[in-house]
Amino acid sequence: MPKHVAIILDGNRRWAKKEGLTIPEGHEAGGRRVLEMIMDFFSVGINTVSLFVFSTENWRRPEDEVNYLMDMFKFFSKTEIPFFQRNKIKISVIGNRLNIPTSLLEGIQEIEEATKNYEGKQIIMAVDYSGRFDILQACKSLAEKTKKGLIQVEDINEKLIENELMTKCSEFPNPDLLIRTSGEQRISNFFLWQSAYTELYFPTVQWPDFSKAEYFEALTWYQQRQRRFGRRV
Amino acid sequence: MDFNEPMLLLSFWIGQISDLGLDLLWRFIHIIVSLCHTVFGIFEAIQSYAISLGLIRKYSSIDIDKLRCLAVVVDIEVARDVSKIVELLQWLTTIGVKQVGLFDSQGLLKKSKDMILEMVPGSMLLQETGEKETSPDRNGIAIEFISSSDNKEAVVKAANILLEKYLKSSHLENDEGENVFTESHLNEALRVVGENVHVPDLMLVYGPVRSHLGFPAWRLRYTEIVHMGSLEYMRYGSLLKAIHKFTGVRQNYGKGLMMIVQAQMVIESRASEITFCLFGL
Repeated sequence: MPKHVAIILDGNRRWAKKEGLTIPEGHEAGGRRVLEMIMDFFSVGINTVSLFVFSTENWRRPEDEVNYLMDMFKFFSKTEIPFFQRNKIKISVIGNRLNIPTSLLEGIQEIEEATKNYEGKQIIMAVDYSGRFDILQACKSLAEKTKKGLIQVEDINEKLIENELMTKCSEFPNPDLLIRTSGEQRISNFFLWQSAYTELYFPTVQWPDFSKAEYFEALTWYQQRQRRFGRRV
Repeated sequence: MDFNEPMLLLSFWIGQISDLGLDLLWRFIHIIVSLCHTVFGIFEAIQSYAISLGLIRKYSSIDIDKLRCLAVVVDIEVARDVSKIVELLQWLTTIGVKQVGLFDSQGLLKKSKDMILEMVPGSMLLQETGEKETSPDRNGIAIEFISSSDNKEAVVKAANILLEKYLKSSHLENDEGENVFTESHLNEALRVVGENVHVPDLMLVYGPVRSHLGFPAWRLRYTEIVHMGSLEYMRYGSLLKAIHKFTGVRQNYGKGLMMIVQAQMVIESRASEITFCLFGL
């Protein structure tokens, strides 16, 4: 079984269009689907699940849609704390926090603080996340350490950069399996560095329709793969 | 107290039986999924032959100008078979692809580049064309040979350049070091260390693994990734289909709503349909 599964939650708007609903209703259905699936995510021994909920590029969407999403995240971060505490799930939020509204930032800090001590099950929510930004902030972090004399320039290598990526919050920073719903076959700036040997699975179902059956099909498919991490057999 | 022992034994056997039941169920699911994939594979093979023979008209014309840069990722097990690589490049030349980046993690294709260039008529190294974008007037195919050293190692070297710049500038009173770590700066630093930063539009992955196998991460942002199966059993029809499907894709790069018309053949017991779609990410 994979230790870390990453999911790009794509297709809320297309689902809404297909169902004759509004875009906010599509996003709401997508959010409900996340909550419904959470226990299924961990039911087979998976340690970390990463969810790409909002990319840096998504800021260019219509303002009312962005505001709705921010409000939804804020609501989610405040109301679901008891659920995560009951099930001992650690919540970590990664991304560029500079553009996130203050009220949502408070909710993020609250949920992270309330669940920080849990081990064995972790959800990483990527909000305003970009794989390129992740690499750049890792480089910047190393630059600051060099300036402080903590490391030397010549010490910088791949491992040091990896240790500064935002996924350092997880015991398993590199996803074994990446699922992108809605049939689009690209990773859209998600986990660029971390996904070198990640198995990529692109089901055609839209995210609000992604159920336990589709999830187990993805895991079954993963189990049939032969992973070699670039080495010879 | 005596009552506990039979209860413990009973619960032990219930646990064993339910574990066995779950195991059998999981294996059954595996069989079903494998059957579905086998049927899908057979369908794909038949369709591919039909495309190769020109029996499916829609694949006879491709707007190849939409494919400015193609990446081909090859598993190292098959990268040793240069003849298959040459055949693939010849097919791509026939289709009209102008620029291709050939990647294998160990750099085996880099070592064979002279032989490959000699065996593919009209081919040249991308560096020798002196062009960052493909030119429609240029004949032949420009090939870039890429390996893992162009991925994370290159980013490390580029990061060192930015770091030196940062340390130098942060001695100044206006502390310009903060602005050094931007995408454009890293792009420039990658060019300085000899790397191409052009993002492939489409990536074809040949091998048993559905992964990009360490292709330069910085370049992968919006690349369509298609797994083509084994290079040993590659089919011209499948190649044509993958490229044709790509030319029908519209990306909105995570931005606002964009109406697209997409003709889509959906396998797995659905009829072909044309849909208006609003893209997400």
